[in-house]
Amino acid sequence: MNPFDIKSVLLAKHAQHVVLIHFPIALFIMGVAFDFVAQWTGKKSLAAAARYNLLAAAVSTLPTLATGLLAWRIALEGEHLKGILLMHLVFAWISSASLWVIGWVHYRAGQRPEVALPSYRLSLEAVGVLLITVTGHLGGFLSGVNGPG
Amino acid sequence: MKNSLLIFSIGIAAVASSALSAPKPNALQTGAPASAQQAPAAAEVKIDNFSFSLATLTIAVGTTVTWTNNDDIPHTVVGTDKAFKSKVLDTGEKFSFTFTKAGEYPYFCSIHPKMTGKVVVQ
Repeated sequence: MNPFDIKSVLLAKHAQHVVLIHFPIALFIMGVAFDFVAQWTGKKSLAAAARYNLLAAAVSTLPTLATGLLAWRIALEGEHLKGILLMHLVFAWISSASLWVIGWVHYRAGQRPEVALPSYRLSLEAVGVLLITVTGHLGGFLSGVNGPG
Repeated sequence: MKNSLLIFSIGIAAVASSALSAPKPNALQTGAPASAQQAPAAAEVKIDNFSFSLATLTIAVGTTVTWTNNDDIPHTVVGTDKAFKSKVLDTGEKFSFTFTKAGEYPYFCSIHPKMTGKVVVQ
């Protein structure tokens, strides 16, 4: 298969999910890193970078979730999930929800610059990194990234 | 004389009955293909390390093929032409399908589409 065959790439029944998932993972982890450093140094530019990264991460969960659910509907015909597949789905929803909450906290702070970001967000972000790491690990396990396949 | 005739008749009857009850020569002895008479009723394909143990399996019509997932990862067995389709097979789970028509049946794992195999039914 030609890797640059647009038709094959776009119409692959579930390949998009494993492509798109990298965006929320990377954006969120970098956003959290910027936020922690911004908190440490007090630099507003870093806080702004963190906000944009975290908002982009929250938005990018939407196509990622959609393609994951489509993969379930198309590749597995919506079969009742169990085991690793079910764990991956549950962790995906929980980590996505945490990304939306964290994104919302930063969005509100961006709307009202006079109000300081709540400090509890750092704990939320740490938990979010843990959740998205577990979700990604399960997804990698399923896709064979960490195996000979 | 009567005794001789009786003994002769018994002898003929014994020879005739032994000839009738003798085993018929089998296909192998007559040179016919062994597979025509000794077609396996079942065959097995193991799933391990993201691959099907037999990339191409050749069987006779009527053979039941059983796939066993020995991998740590869930897999499926789906015919390209949808002739057969398993549910998601977790570790240790099996799926069987009986091939009743001759032909070639390519199949794949719908979770990992690059895992492919083929059953040739003769």
